[in-house]
Amino acid sequence: MSVWRRIFGMDGRKSELDAEIDAHRRMAVEDRVARGEKEEDARAAVEQELGNLPLAKDVTREAWGWVWVERLLQDVRYALRQMKRSPGFAATVIGTLALGIGAATAMFTVVDHVLLRTLPYKNPKQLVVMAEHGNDPRFGAGVPWLDLAQWRAASHSFEDLAYWSGMEGRNYVKGSNGAALQIDSQQVSPNLFALLGAKPALGPGFIDEQPGFGAVKNSGSIVLSHTVWETAFAGDPGIIGRKIQINDTPYTVVGVMPAGFQFPYDSYPAGQAWVVGQLDDSDKKLGNDQSFYGAIGRLRPGVTVAAAHAEIDAIQKQVAARYADAETREAHSQVKLEGYGDSLVDADVRKALLALLAAAGVLWLIASVNVTNLLLARSTARQREIAMRGALGASRGRVLQQMVVEGLVLSTCAAVLGIALALIAVRLTGSVASIHLDVDFSTHVNGMILAVLCGLTLISAVVASAWPALLAVRAPIEPALKQGGERTGAARRHNRMRSGLVAIEVAMSLMLLVACGLLLRTIYTFRHVPLGFRTDHILVANLSVPSYQFTDRNVTTTLYQPLLERVQNLHGVQAAGMMSEVPLGRTFNIMLSLRMNGRMVAAGLKPVSPQIRQIFGFPMIAGRFFNDQDSPTSEPVLVVNPAFAREYAPDKHDPKSILGAEVWSLKKGAPKARVVGVMDDQRQQAIDAPTQPEVEICLCQLGPGDNLYQPATIAMDLAVRTRQPTAEMIPEIRTLLKQASPELANSTISTMDQIVEDSFGSQRLAAHLLEIFGGSALLLCVAGLYGLLAYVVSQRTRELGVRIALGAQRGDLSWLVLRQAGWMLVIGVAVGSGLAWASARLVRGFLYGVQAHDGWTLAGAAVLLFVCGLLAAWIPAQRAASVDPMEALRAE
Amino acid sequence: MKKEKELYQNRIELLQGTLDMLILQTLQWGAQHGYGISQALRSRSSEVLQVETGSLYPALHRMERYKWIAAEWRKTEQNQRARYYRITAEGRRQLASERAKWSGMVEAIASILEA
Repeated sequence: MSVWRRIFGMDGRKSELDAEIDAHRRMAVEDRVARGEKEEDARAAVEQELGNLPLAKDVTREAWGWVWVERLLQDVRYALRQMKRSPGFAATVIGTLALGIGAATAMFTVVDHVLLRTLPYKNPKQLVVMAEHGNDPRFGAGVPWLDLAQWRAASHSFEDLAYWSGMEGRNYVKGSNGAALQIDSQQVSPNLFALLGAKPALGPGFIDEQPGFGAVKNSGSIVLSHTVWETAFAGDPGIIGRKIQINDTPYTVVGVMPAGFQFPYDSYPAGQAWVVGQLDDSDKKLGNDQSFYGAIGRLRPGVTVAAAHAEIDAIQKQVAARYADAETREAHSQVKLEGYGDSLVDADVRKALLALLAAAGVLWLIASVNVTNLLLARSTARQREIAMRGALGASRGRVLQQMVVEGLVLSTCAAVLGIALALIAVRLTGSVASIHLDVDFSTHVNGMILAVLCGLTLISAVVASAWPALLAVRAPIEPALKQGGERTGAARRHNRMRSGLVAIEVAMSLMLLVACGLLLRTIYTFRHVPLGFRTDHILVANLSVPSYQFTDRNVTTTLYQPLLERVQNLHGVQAAGMMSEVPLGRTFNIMLSLRMNGRMVAAGLKPVSPQIRQIFGFPMIAGRFFNDQDSPTSEPVLVVNPAFAREYAPDKHDPKSILGAEVWSLKKGAPKARVVGVMDDQRQQAIDAPTQPEVEICLCQLGPGDNLYQPATIAMDLAVRTRQPTAEMIPEIRTLLKQASPELANSTISTMDQIVEDSFGSQRLAAHLLEIFGGSALLLCVAGLYGLLAYVVSQRTRELGVRIALGAQRGDLSWLVLRQAGWMLVIGVAVGSGLAWASARLVRGFLYGVQAHDGWTLAGAAVLLFVCGLLAAWIPAQRAASVDPMEALRAE
Repeated sequence: MKKEKELYQNRIELLQGTLDMLILQTLQWGAQHGYGISQALRSRSSEVLQVETGSLYPALHRMERYKWIAAEWRKTEQNQRARYYRITAEGRRQLASERAKWSGMVEAIASILEA
């Protein structure tokens, strides 16, 4: 405290006042002595004249205007002393508040990152993206250049419009150390960077030019992202003007973007490169063969998204009319236009996060209620102390201030702890959220969140301390000072209110527990749903195939076959196979839309090698899977799934009837491929998505020039069944991949179990978080119940003693306490059931295999609460039963 | 002792705000310390007005904060260290306005009493 005094200069001033009054005293005594009084008498007379000196000094100090600081410091010191005296109480309050604040801040950080993030562009709110679609908005496509050109000419809502599209296949940049780094490369219109308001950190960037067929000023130029510049070129400052290679094509570097810049926003983390996409003949056609682009525009200031949408819709009516074919006309009839930021967040993810934020808010409420209850109990217990202070002359405002300061001190400690908890929680959720939510996630807590946190702390301090303090201050002084004041009506009213608060806690906890229970049941169903394949002992490498090398060369014979043979020969490998995308892999989905016997067929396509069935144990319903006899020269064959058969078999109810059907030719002039087998349905994209029609094709029967060959050079998973624990094989397999082709070093390798687990997505994150929230809520509410009952029992010790002395059975006394607990639980559970029923709508979207209004889950959560609550009540009940009547009565 | 007691009883309760005016007036005649001020008030009021320490010092420190008076440590004639107060320009203005108010009130009260 001495530092404070020195800062405010109070010590010096206090002694100055003392000296001043000393001088006064001396002069007065001297005067009297000079007038002939005896020194002793003079002293006594002067002391009498001076009167109550400490009071005089106090009043004088008040005139300095510093006294409130002094009092505040006094209060803070007192609060700290109080904390030291009852560390258990302080720890409970701080821990409870910290939990609530921590959870709320962590959730808010996640929501802030995902929903409220600011994109790294100039005025990102003005940016909108557009896509064309038909009557069903799910099947949207990009925008053809000719349509975009019309928008550019006719619309008035935009400052500018630009386009972009990802380069085909996988792209590798050859680094200065010779390694091939897989990057995301984009073909963009020359005006894109100007539209985004982004300038390179290094180099001039693209030459300013309006997009169009004649725009060729930037051909052969490339702009690199900061990450690519650093990883592939070691941050070489002389990079501008150098020739580099993407795949086999040379480009001249004209710019390096600043760190953190990316476009499109959620892109490949290894970095990006941009070249100006040159329009060609395919952009002049109107029909199905044209190129499609992503379209982005910057709205003029003051133009709303809705207004721009209306304008583009009107223009598109005329644009679509130019398509000759009715089917194509329909497919281009509508435009989807939304803010760029909004387009990046999946609606499901948004809902999940808001629901979790609400859950965190409920937890914070429970924590606040609990702390209020604790402080209320203490203020009641301290009523005599407060009354004593009042009797000694402390004003009510002064007592109120002191209690509020105590609350503030507690909640400041809680806030500091809460920040620490939040940082840890954000770090933990951050590492899993990036998998589950498919969002870029950094663990950075910004100032706004801290401001929100301070707001929350302040609210909880005011809520938790002002209210009990007000009640305590308003209570009349005399009854509290009288013996046995606790037994007055006010105390009973407090108890009733505290019981009500505990019931509210129970109700809110039940709501969280029910939500948690529903998600746990969803996860349980996920884990036990028949997947249609085995997941154990399987290692999957998502290959980074250098697609550009295989436009003319056969990727199967030159890369896949030799690689499979080498992996197969590894010690511990049972089988190795290829599949364009393993089930639930969600890496590269090939969709077919082909004309078969006069009707359109839409189905997923998976080129596979014959060994894949043995690895995954796919069961067959009819016919055979591929085998070693299927070769490039043998008859082309296909295997389909029952979903395909249900759609396209001659007899819809008999999947076997599709066997022998001739579907389509793999290349022009070749005989049509024949269906030779039907394998059982398996989960494809997600466990809770219905199975879509799917066709498997034998990898070795695809070659350059085939219609379906190209996707197989982009997407391929290597699946390995191992004898030993799979993780041990990862390094060996990685070495083999690197040897097969340097680009394959970029491949990601994981176990099949992990892939399945990751596919649970937002449900698993939600379940994990709700487990934490629900568990914390349960803990808080048990603590609240225990705290109240323990307090009640200690307050009623005398009464209980009298009851025993008058012949009450000890069992009756425990029953008394348990009955009170029972009432709180019953009321809490009744209200909570209503809340849970009402809030079920929020979680409905995440549930699978369980109804939102599931009686069993509700009953389970209620029973759990009851059991925990009664266990918490048991200890005070035992204490009530073991009251010693002599001990209790002696105090009377 | 008896005399003291009578004095105490005859003491006139100072009207709220009047003390400030009296102190400022006392300081008009020159810088003075707390004890000096109380002695001056006492002798000039023929022993009727006795200012208590509990009123005097708070008033001095308050007026110092308002910058009506300024303080410094000086030696007295008896070679004692004491805190001397001196009236400032602001204090003179304040005194003038309080005196005006005071005489207004005295006139008002007198006209009621003599009516």
